[in-house]
Amino acid sequence: MNTSAQASLGVPVAVGATGTDWDAVRADLRRYGTALVYGTLADWRPGDLAPDALRALLGRDWARYCDIAHEDIRDRYAASRRLLKSAAAAALHADAVDMELTYGPTGRPYLRGCDQIDITLSHTDDLLMVGLTTRGLIGVDAELADRRIYSKGLDRLICTPHERLGLGELAPEERNPRLVRLWTLKEAYSKAIGQGMQFRFTEFGFGPDGRPLQVNRPDGTPGAGAEWAFATYYLDVGDTEFCVSAAVYDAGLGRTFDTGITTMLDAEAAEALALALAAAAN
Amino acid sequence: MSLLERTADLLGFLDLIRDELGLDLSVQEAEADLDALPAWDSVHLLRLVMLIEQETGRRIPVASVLQARSIAQIHAHVVASAGGGPR
Repeated sequence: MNTSAQASLGVPVAVGATGTDWDAVRADLRRYGTALVYGTLADWRPGDLAPDALRALLGRDWARYCDIAHEDIRDRYAASRRLLKSAAAAALHADAVDMELTYGPTGRPYLRGCDQIDITLSHTDDLLMVGLTTRGLIGVDAELADRRIYSKGLDRLICTPHERLGLGELAPEERNPRLVRLWTLKEAYSKAIGQGMQFRFTEFGFGPDGRPLQVNRPDGTPGAGAEWAFATYYLDVGDTEFCVSAAVYDAGLGRTFDTGITTMLDAEAAEALALALAAAAN
Repeated sequence: MSLLERTADLLGFLDLIRDELGLDLSVQEAEADLDALPAWDSVHLLRLVMLIEQETGRRIPVASVLQARSIAQIHAHVVASAGGGPR
């Protein structure tokens, strides 16, 4: 794996569906406030789970899972939620079946009742990718590194004028890899802010490889400050190379070093709850 | 026959998707939610918009196409944007 990651983000951690030691994920959360984990569809697909166990794991997603007619999509849906809930549970020192997902208007997932940790999910081909952060917001996106995206005309729908100029100056064989990287960065950023593609990709851009990453305005001038951290990674999974980008927003609320679910309850809220329960008991 | 005429009905639109994007979709799949299509993603959507823009010489409002939740809805947006109505 090679990486152009910034120091504020660690490198993605490979995890298996069984027998995984999640210490590295928890260590990244403590060190960076962010952890990126990945697995394969083949490993995380739920074929080894009994129906009752899968239903318990998916929780409110079970109905949606049952509604999916296409078997491959159903498996991918279940596998990605299995990885997402397992990673979140590991971070929170909880059980995956106790993790409940809810979704925003654009389909962005959240951990219900655990808003101290933000989550994100991406899957393509055989790769499943999950991001966790205690800093604020996170988005990840993955694509096959050799996916053909670049073509004259398509860059107009994806890139800012500044990015198109940069692409045009590259050797032809370098344009598609650059555009795949830009695409994953834009998808990751859009996921982090919960906009999907509603926020047009031509309205914000990123700089070239090899420099600290930042969000740019369409003319290439900086559009955001140090509160955002971005990184791109190239993962070899099996015989396939994936381009993966992550975007993390630091809300400036300070670091959370103890992410245990029992210690992340807001103290005042917990006290109010205890008082209400006591009053009800009396 | 122009691309606009060829894609004015949904079957012609699906032919275009098959020929240009390599995705063979049935009418039933065209009516399904995009999330339920095995191979569809946003890159395909942008490639489709680009292709139609190049062939028709008209700009497709990407923001409205992004609201679509099925291929059939994308078709309706594209045809309306290109100056026709879905058949």
